[in-house]
Amino acid sequence: MEATIEFIKKIVENLNGFGFPFLVFFIGVLEFSFGLYKRKWPKNERWVDIACFTLPRLVVQPAVAYYSLHFLPYIFPDAKNIFSWVPFLWGFAIIAVADDLTQYWYHRLHHQIPWLWRFHRTHHSASYMGMAMASRQNVIYTLFFSQIYLTAALVYLGLGIPAIAVKIIKSTITTLAHSSIPWDKPFYKYKVLHPIAWVLERLISTPATHHAHHAATTDDGVGYYKGNFGNMFFLWDIIFGTALISRQYPKAYGISHYEGDQWYAQLLWPIFKSKVEGSELAVDGPMVRVDIDKEEPVIKTTEINESGTTQEKYQLV
Amino acid sequence: MKIDETTKKQIIKNVLLSLFIYALPIALMFITFSITGQRPWEKKVQQKENVKSVTNKTNLSNGSND
Repeated sequence: MEATIEFIKKIVENLNGFGFPFLVFFIGVLEFSFGLYKRKWPKNERWVDIACFTLPRLVVQPAVAYYSLHFLPYIFPDAKNIFSWVPFLWGFAIIAVADDLTQYWYHRLHHQIPWLWRFHRTHHSASYMGMAMASRQNVIYTLFFSQIYLTAALVYLGLGIPAIAVKIIKSTITTLAHSSIPWDKPFYKYKVLHPIAWVLERLISTPATHHAHHAATTDDGVGYYKGNFGNMFFLWDIIFGTALISRQYPKAYGISHYEGDQWYAQLLWPIFKSKVEGSELAVDGPMVRVDIDKEEPVIKTTEINESGTTQEKYQLV
Repeated sequence: MKIDETTKKQIIKNVLLSLFIYALPIALMFITFSITGQRPWEKKVQQKENVKSVTNKTNLSNGSND
């Protein structure tokens, strides 16, 4: 048993170096080769995706490095590797729960607390799914609302190897859940695979459940951005009653009222604001704008006052 | 724009349940140790002591390989 665990540890250490970048690159090439974006990668979106993939790495990684190498040793000088005696499998369970449940909460709160929504909006504004948008996040969200600090603290306490194992499995699951390749489809199609599908879709995030979270619509039986918040484990959504399993893929992704906010506003709101009028990221934009199909139709009239100034009036139809 | 009351109550309820879930693997680990009689933290202390004795400056070699 110990030899097997040592063998797994060695695989984990090697995969941590090259495995994830290779996986993202491989899936990305597949997606583009098969035209899975269906020509839905306009110039502005391309800039948002590329900026979000590259620039946060220059800020977030040094911040995490400083936290792990200076802040933690300064605050807890005697705690380094204090729990290195924790057996690998238990360490794996502790990190998997701590990391993924924390991320579930950050994610859920950004959808359910209106004030937080705009920090997470960038991740939802893409009208497509795939490797191109998987890293699309506002840098403030990544910097301040990341479970990485909790995981780094556990690594400092001595759970380094289990943390790497969790990182590899989690990256694979979340990457494949964002992918435009519906790898889970055969599990729904063939009856013999239905029992596996039943377990899989409740345990981990699949393209069907996570794509539903990125749908442009909600409460229509397929799209469900009000739930399906799980990243690695979908189990949290099942436990907390925020799950919708339909085994279908939405027809449209993104935000129904999205009009292509500038890449810098999406990357760095609230430092930079959007120039798109009425956008949630604009200077006077609403905190949360309702979906277009749920907007109440209004008639806009312009009246000229006695003083000569114009006044716009809105009347419900 | 404010968060609605039902969502607020749901969040509080779920946060309390989450605290239990966070503690669950740690609690299960110690329950397993108490059933099997394992004490891995003692093994670590022993390993540390062994390392110390090798590099002890009171050794004849004074910690040197020469």
